[in-house]
This record gives sequence, structure tokens and C-alpha cells, in this order.
Amino acid sequence: MKSPDAIVIGAGIVGASCALSLTNAGLNVLVIDRGSVSSGTTGAGEGNILVSDKDPGPELTLALRSRDLWFEMQEDVGDYFELEAKGGVVVARHDDSALMKLASDQREHGVDAQVVGASDLHNLEPYLHPEFHSGVFYPQDAQCQPMLAAAHVIRTVISRGGNFISQAKVTEVLVKDSQVYGVETSKGKFLAPIVVNATGTWAGEIARMAGSDLPIAPRRGFILVTEPAPQYIFHKVYDSDYVVNVASSDADLQTSTVVEGTRSGTILIGASRERVGFDGSKNVEILRKLAAQATSLFPILRDVQLLRAYHGFRPYAPDHLPVVGEDAQVKGLWHSAGHEGAGIGLAPGSAALITDEILGRPSFMDASAFSPARFAMVKV
Amino acid sequence: MIIVVGAGPAGLAAAKSAASKGCQVTVIDSQPRGGGQYWRHLTAVSGYKSNRSAAYLKELQQNKLITHITGAQVWSAEKLGDGYQLNYLQAGVEKKISAQKIILTTGAYDRTLPFPGWTTSGVMTPGGAQSLLKGHGVVAGKAIVVSGTGPFLLPVATALAKSGAYVEIIEAQSPLRWALSPLALLLNPGKFPELMHYASAIVRLKIKVSFGSAVTEYHSGVAQVSKVRSDLSIRKKNIRNISADVVATGWGFLPDVTLGGILGCAQTLDRHETVVFEVDKEQRASAQNIWIAGEATGIGGADLALAEGAIAGLSATGSRIPAGLRWKRLTKRLFAKALQRSYPVGGGWQEWLRDETVICRCEEVSYQEIIESVQELGAEDARTSKLFTRAGMGLCQGRVCSRNVSDVVSGTTKCAVSRSERLAASNRPIAAPISLGVLGDGIAG
Repeated sequence: MKSPDAIVIGAGIVGASCALSLTNAGLNVLVIDRGSVSSGTTGAGEGNILVSDKDPGPELTLALRSRDLWFEMQEDVGDYFELEAKGGVVVARHDDSALMKLASDQREHGVDAQVVGASDLHNLEPYLHPEFHSGVFYPQDAQCQPMLAAAHVIRTVISRGGNFISQAKVTEVLVKDSQVYGVETSKGKFLAPIVVNATGTWAGEIARMAGSDLPIAPRRGFILVTEPAPQYIFHKVYDSDYVVNVASSDADLQTSTVVEGTRSGTILIGASRERVGFDGSKNVEILRKLAAQATSLFPILRDVQLLRAYHGFRPYAPDHLPVVGEDAQVKGLWHSAGHEGAGIGLAPGSAALITDEILGRPSFMDASAFSPARFAMVKV
Repeated sequence: MIIVVGAGPAGLAAAKSAASKGCQVTVIDSQPRGGGQYWRHLTAVSGYKSNRSAAYLKELQQNKLITHITGAQVWSAEKLGDGYQLNYLQAGVEKKISAQKIILTTGAYDRTLPFPGWTTSGVMTPGGAQSLLKGHGVVAGKAIVVSGTGPFLLPVATALAKSGAYVEIIEAQSPLRWALSPLALLLNPGKFPELMHYASAIVRLKIKVSFGSAVTEYHSGVAQVSKVRSDLSIRKKNIRNISADVVATGWGFLPDVTLGGILGCAQTLDRHETVVFEVDKEQRASAQNIWIAGEATGIGGADLALAEGAIAGLSATGSRIPAGLRWKRLTKRLFAKALQRSYPVGGGWQEWLRDETVICRCEEVSYQEIIESVQELGAEDARTSKLFTRAGMGLCQGRVCSRNVSDVVSGTTKCAVSRSERLAASNRPIAAPISLGVLGDGIAG
């Protein structure tokens, strides 16, 4: 194997997208992972590609572009990962003024956010609890199978001359004169002038190995999976409280439920968020809250059996914005991490930003809000 | 109060010994009657020593210190102070019970191996055929092939033959393998009359027995039998056909480790890489105030389960364990090891499969799809393969197929399945399905 132009650490969807984008820009890319494809947060993901839950600002701009890039990636790689613009429906339980204000702000920034009244709402979701009188329909919200996506994207990278080495745990990031030149791993040393850190919740650790710093912490999220059921749910449906929770920095557990059906007939109930460390223990109370919220949206789900629950750890930064860009201290070390619960959706957009910056070409947006340097400045 | 989960031989022995020390015991079990799968089946078919359970069942019913909760499906468990709370479903209603000390005797279920036709009607586990006979008085078929490996095939085959079916036994291993374990045989002389009991029943009932063979395909009422090696790979394909309306096929047992996994009890692998619990010499699990006895600590049969259960019950009440009981457990453990040595389940069964043979029946995932997830998509372990193919994600949550999927994946990658992967594959956060309505209604406060 000849020396690559760039090494991407992490074979989740964020790393895979970066590898594809760099490969398509003409670079020879080596992807390494301490496990196998999709073995981290991607493997515990729901596959959300959402614009509906973003407030106007840089993250929404990124989300809108990234959502389109998902469909471009599907054309490039092939229709292998169940990408579907199924649309999102956000409903308000009591007071809908916050939701309506958000929708109107989003519309000004290019989001297709259609206010729907009671009858349209129940046409969209016939099994929704009758107490919901209004909501907003987001046709751009989409869905994919993230594990399959990462696997097929990496397969494409390999078919275009790139390489993938699994079970290679990074033990050292090689830096000389503040310039990265490779990584030492459990499977040997690999040299390249560009290293992309796409390791999600472990991104802080990789940054520390390079002598830098990145304040990425894990946030636990649960997903409930039911037995296969008839199609009761037609979109991604969530309570508008979810949007409030996404931006919350309250360390206590907050849950608000996103409910959706899948092609296999199972229903996914997700989006609890809780700021804890890497604690894998289950908490029955979280499962109960998620179930209660899901059945309050869709009473028909009361008789559907829960088969399993799983959790993953979402990487997040203190300001809840992703970290995308070159390291503040180490040249050649790029980060694409801290996407929290939106990593699947934001992956190709983040990859495009990094590729554009590396190549020094103009990009679709000003990415300074995502710069890793923003934390360094706070410290000073 | 001590909670005993499971009312099979281990659970009943644990309850009896704990109650004999004056301790209150609650036995919680999913079945309407005590006895567990093993005794329930044996009593039904008046097998060897089937009346041994009577003393234990009488204790369960009559001892004032023992409460028996029936028809209770424990779906989750939580730590509560220095004890534990079990959440269970009984007739669709969720209930909770808590105690400082728990004895887990969660038993085991049949292991199934796939072969072309194994998902068609007429194929079932030996345990399934037993349940039909006992629970519903139904003989599964007119002509029945009992295929697989292990001594459990014998009571099933003889019971079915007694009920009027034509029965053949196709045992994959050679009886000569017992010669590998002379000490275990010497120390367990009680096993000879049991063997003679079944041998004479087989002769009397004219059951045809073949060794070193397996049913490797079943289609439209015809079971195809192949000669197999001890690792189950094919020596000579399709040596004969047997007309049968039922194939009862069982390849030993897999311990049910779900509940102990939820409670954080450390697990390990036995000599066949089956996930079992680690226990100390008093049957204590790694988690505080939990004891585990019976099949969940390693498949060993009812005799071993009785000894382990009695020791767990005594230990949980802080009582001394008599040396005789320890000796009994030791000899039964030796015998359990000999069973494993005599009836191994190797990976050679993968040779029986066709590309389109289903491996995961709940999600209908084929052998070919699992191979492709490895070769095309880069899955290197069963977890990743599962994420790509959905194998093991259906109703049974991988209880039937996850062991087989990881064997297929390791057969394809040519890498042994790692210890951590075997252990991780056994852990499920929910021990039994629960409706979302009942789950949500259980919110505290």
C-alpha cells in the first residue's frame, strides 16, 4: 500500500462521508477504525436526516445542504441504504405559539415548513391522538439506514483506490513542529500529511494524543424497538417539546419522543437525552417515559409489544454545535465530530466543508461557527 | 425474604433448602405449574425417575414459608438499594417484587441448527414435541425423526413412540465418545440404570437408532440423512431418505442468561463457547446478593441442577454447605463435562446449508445475506452483520439464531469469535416483550 494523502480515523458515517468526499476530490484516502464499520455511534443511530429540529443559524444551513448531499451521495454510491424523504410532522400538545414562531423563522431560511390544521394533521397521521389540533409538516426531513450507508460508502471509497483497515486502534497521533504526519496504531504506523478525526465521542481523546484539546462529551440516548406492526405511523412524528430539549444544556434527564415506522414494520421510539458518562447501564424509568410519551402521541401503540431497547452515546460540544475544521494548534489535523444526535444528517455536509477547506476552494457556507478554534479562544 | 426465579429442579431445590433454614422464599416462574421444562416433560411421559420431582413439588405447594408466583414473566430487573426489584407481567398486568437476595435459576432452551427446510412446517425442537404431548396431548406426527445430539433425544423419542408414532433416532455422535470420560462414568454409576431404562424402551418400542448421522435436509415429508463427522461436517451426503411428517431436531441446550445479564452478573464461556454465568463455590454470582444455579451456570442436567440449587439456597441463608452436597455437585459436574465431550456441536453444520437457507427465521435472513454482509460490506463480527442484515432482531431477539449467525460470520472471516463478542451477543436489556401501554403506565409516582 502506498502512503495515502489523508487518513480518516473512524468508520462511522461521519468518517465514511469524509473519506468519500476526499476521494472524489482526487485524494488517496486510508480509513482506519478501532472496530469495524459502523461499530460506534452510527451503529446505534436511528438514521435521522432532519431539518425540522434546527433553529435558524449555521447548523440549519449545514443541515439543509447536507440533506441534499445525502441524495447526491445516494446517486454516487447507489440505492443501498434505504434513503427516503419520508417527511417529519411536529405537533404541539398545548400551546403551539413556540412551534409556529420556529416554523416561520425556518421558512425564512429556506426550510419547507407547512403549517397544518387539525384535519390535515389527521390526514397525515390518522392514528395521532385527537387532542392534537395543529402541527407543522416538514417534507424535507429524511431517513436512512446509517449502518448500511457507512458500509456502502466505504466500499465505494475502496473501489476508487482507497483503503480501509479495521481493528486498528490509534495509540499515537504523530506530530512534528505542530504539523501532523501520521498515526501509530495497533496495526502499525501510517503516514499522511492530513489526518481527519471522525471518532465521535472519542474525538477528545484523539485530539489529546495530538497534544491538542477538544471538549467533546458523550450524551446517552435510548431507542425503543417494537415488534413489527401494521403501518400506524407515516412520518417522523414528534412533540414540539423535542426541539426545546435539543437545545437544552440541562444535565438532568429530559425526554421527548420521536416516533416513526420503518420498512420492516418495527416502530422506533427515540430521542431521550441524558448527560452521563460512558455508563452502559439500563434505566427502566427512561424506557417507561419514552413509552408513555409515544402512546400519548399514538394511543394505538398501547397494545404494541416492545421487543428491545438499545442506547448509544452521542458526542456533543458545550455549545451544541458540531466541530468541523482544522485543529487550532496542530496543522493537518482536521476534526469532524460533536454532531450530537444529528451526526447522520450532518455527515455529508461536514465532509464537504472539510474537503473544501483542505483544497482551499470556496464552500457553500462560512464554517467559522464550527471551528475547533472557538474553544481555544474561550479558554484564553 | 429470598426470591427464587424459576421453578425447575434448581429453583425448587434452592427454595426447599432455604426454607429448611426458616427463611421466607418466593418462587417466581413463567409456567402455571412448578417443575420447569425438564420435570414437566418427564412427568408427562413417565420417564426414568420422573417421580423424583414429587417431593419438591409437594414442598412448593405445602411449605408455609414458600410462596409460588405462577404465570409470571419477568421482563426487567433493577438494583434497588442493596437489593433488587424484579418487574414482571402476570396475565397482562405489570407487577413488581423486591428482595435483598435473589437466586436465579433461569434454565435453558433448545439449541437449533439450520438446514435446508428447517423452517417448514413439521420441523420442531424435541422440547416442542414434548410440550405438544404434555400440554395438549397431541402426538406431533405419525412418523417422527428425532435428530440431533445428546441424551435428551432419548426420553423424547421413547415418549413419542409410546404414544403410537413411528420413531427413528438420528444421533450425530458416536456412543464410543463416552470412552473419553471414564472417570465421570465411574463416579456416576447411577447413570447406568437410566441408560438401561432407555435402551430397553428403544428395543421394546422398535425404535431404529443411527449414530454418526444427521438430518441435513427436509422437504415435502422427506428427511434426507447424511453421514457426519464429529464436528458435524458431511462425511457422505444423503445416504438415505426417511418419510416423516415431523422432524424433531435438537442440538443440546443454550442457557438463558438474559436476566442475570441485566443484573450485571459476570458471564464466561464454557468449553463449547456457550455463554454461562461465573459463580463461586457457593453459587454466588459476581453481583452482590445474587446466586445462580442450574443450567444458567452451564448445561448439566437435573441432577447437577438439584445439587447447585440446594447449595445456593443454603448459602443465601448463610448456612453451612455439607461436604456431601459439595461432593455430589463435583461428581455431577464431571458428568456434565463428559456430556459436553460426548455430544459436541461443531461448526461443520454450515456445510449443510444452501445459499438461500434461512438462518434467522424471524427476519428471514439467508445464509447468503450473512456471507455478503461479511464479504461485501466488511462486517467482521456478528453484531455488525446483524446491523446490516437484521439477523437476530426479530421476535425471538436472537435466542434461536445469534449463536449460529456468529458461527457463520467467523466461518466466513476465518477468525475465531472473540470472547467479548460471544458475551456481548447474549445480553439483552429486555427479558420478555412488554406492551408499550403497560410499560408507560408503570411510571413511578
